Amino acid sequence: MNALSIALKDIRILLRERGLLVQLFLLPLVFIIGFSMVFSIGGGDEAITLPVVNLDAEGEIAQALIDDLNATGGIQVALYAQDEAEALLEQGEIKRLLSIPAGFSADVGAGRRTVLELVSDPEASEQQTAAVREVVDGVTRDLSLETQLREAFRRMDEMTAMAPPEYQAFTETTIEEQARRQFERSRHTPLVSIAQSFPTNLLGGQDELGVQVSVTGLLVLFVFLTAQTTAQSIYDEKKVGSFRRLMAAPLSKAELLAGKMIPNLITTMAQIVVIFAAGVLLMPLLGMEPLTLGDDLLGLAVVSLLVALCSTSMGVLIAALARTENQISGISQVALWVMGAMGGAFMPRFLMGDFLSTVSKVIPHAWATEAYYGLLLRGKGMAGITAELAALAAFSVVFLVIGAWRFDFDS
Amino acid sequence: MSEPVLVVQYLKKKYGDFEAVRGISFRVSQGEIFGLLGPNGAGKTQSISMMTGLFPPTSGQVHICGLDLSQDTNAAKRKVGLVPQELALYPTLSARENLMFFGRIYGLRGKELRQRVSAMLEVVQLTDRADDAVEKYSGGMKRRVNIAAGLLHEPEILFLDEPTVGVDPQSRNAIFESVEALNRTGTSIVYTTHYMEEAERLCHRVAIIDEGKIIALDTPSGLIQSLGGGVIQVGLDDGAVQGPLGEFGTERQAGVPGKRVLQVVEQVSDLASVKAASLSDGLLKIEAHRAQEALIGVLEITNQLDVRITMLQILEPNLEGVFLHLTGKKLRE
Repeated sequence: MNALSIALKDIRILLRERGLLVQLFLLPLVFIIGFSMVFSIGGGDEAITLPVVNLDAEGEIAQALIDDLNATGGIQVALYAQDEAEALLEQGEIKRLLSIPAGFSADVGAGRRTVLELVSDPEASEQQTAAVREVVDGVTRDLSLETQLREAFRRMDEMTAMAPPEYQAFTETTIEEQARRQFERSRHTPLVSIAQSFPTNLLGGQDELGVQVSVTGLLVLFVFLTAQTTAQSIYDEKKVGSFRRLMAAPLSKAELLAGKMIPNLITTMAQIVVIFAAGVLLMPLLGMEPLTLGDDLLGLAVVSLLVALCSTSMGVLIAALARTENQISGISQVALWVMGAMGGAFMPRFLMGDFLSTVSKVIPHAWATEAYYGLLLRGKGMAGITAELAALAAFSVVFLVIGAWRFDFDS
Repeated sequence: MSEPVLVVQYLKKKYGDFEAVRGISFRVSQGEIFGLLGPNGAGKTQSISMMTGLFPPTSGQVHICGLDLSQDTNAAKRKVGLVPQELALYPTLSARENLMFFGRIYGLRGKELRQRVSAMLEVVQLTDRADDAVEKYSGGMKRRVNIAAGLLHEPEILFLDEPTVGVDPQSRNAIFESVEALNRTGTSIVYTTHYMEEAERLCHRVAIIDEGKIIALDTPSGLIQSLGGGVIQVGLDDGAVQGPLGEFGTERQAGVPGKRVLQVVEQVSDLASVKAASLSDGLLKIEAHRAQEALIGVLEITNQLDVRITMLQILEPNLEGVFLHLTGKKLRE
């Protein structure tokens, strides 16, 4: 009850700090709109030229793949002989090359798995390479599906033709059921896969990169920046002396800390709701793709709660480690912004390269961004992001334990 | 003044090798105003912090209304009101909002809380400004709200830590009147200050604290009487200490008085107007029955023995004088 009284008091104080409200709610929206526009403009409508070596020149499915790629509108296939393409790639004249292996059509037609090779120059536009990969991935998935369905119906035709009329068991219902199973099989185990060395982390199949990526990264940045508000609030309480008065009151240290944490938890949750609402409702008004929240809203709520808790615990940790107002400000200005950048605030994490991507795993921002990517970009549910959830929970506990241990209640 | 509401026994606080509070003990009776008088850094705030449960002592015990603060912490804390030295208020909240918050922390709710807040606003004469943000108040008004916040839950004992620091004379008088009025209702008060006139005016008993130790404890008049008719401090120089060789041609050791200085001490001690005289580091300290008469005697003796007076200080019979007499320092040093 005492913790709630402290929390309500802090919220009342917060609501009177107009500058802080702008920083907490308006600033993230300004950043998100700006970065979403940059990412969207970067994508452009112009088709990307994709050099292709077709070693299965006579194959129908290989040709269908090329036709389908051209038909997407985003890619314009340019065919090359193998030697010529490899030479141009070596000279840097072309930045990426898709190779269709010999026997591709036969393998796909026979239901055997086969691999398309997509080679990309490390200096090629990472954003364009990611987009090419997206398109090729989508087309091959459709191609696999089409091929598998066609094969299924061919078999059913043969069986129906050979059997006497009284044994013709394949009704319209069973055919539909067979088609559905094939469709699912195609989705989970595509016949055609793509081997690519760079970039390694790719999205699962949505096009609206700009909004999804910028909202996710910046949301994580700003939610963790709110840790500064928690730390500052605790520092202010000590500075004005009210902390001494509270320590002399009949309430426990745990109640006192909880009272200081609850407002931050509520503030960060409100921040997340505002940012998501702006992503869904405001972005279309500004001519951008709306933010899509994925299929698992419960998962989204759990991730958001854990991110808010982690930020709040980090605030307690900062308050425990920093001895002066300048130290709080310094830690926040440097550490939280750097961590936010590493967490994908200004560049999508899947474009960071292996080194940065791996190094950033030591900060909660990376796990938070990955958890949101999983739900919002890759179509995963909560079960698919258990590692990220566990990491966020672990960070929260560690921050809180160290923060409470190092917290100077005496001063 | 009967049952002790506060019993402090051998209270110590150490930070590494530094001992901030060095084993203080005293009792405060019900209805008593007890003063802790000492210069800044003497250990007053540290002592109050331990007595109010802000942090535990390194050793020693505190009992409040018979409750052991270290065992029955929350029950004991409910008996205590603290008015910290700082203005422990939230500047963007109004006086009413501040008081409502601190009242809730002490378990007051609903109608009782609203009534107590209104009553306290009346007591500190801020009803008409109750809904203004505290940051718009004058220093004196803030001090009054600060005191009201410590009184909301009607504590048995109120700790006032330097409540008049940075306050104008008018507000200071208002605070004195509030403390006296509060005491008339039976509330015991522990009042820390480094202003001796406050301790003299308000406190029934005063503990003089210096470097973490209580060096004297009595009623203000008792402490002042210990000075008798006053204290005279006289710096003496018989010339012997000036050179490397003493008056008998032998090398003098530092701090050893000359022969004529010792004669001065002996003769001054024999004066009828002098209660006691002692010499330390060339400084003759005289506790007098009658300060004026004793001073004339000292001047006659030093002239006769050809001893030069390097310094002369007459300590008034007040707490400042007591402190100076006991420590050799001024309260506000």
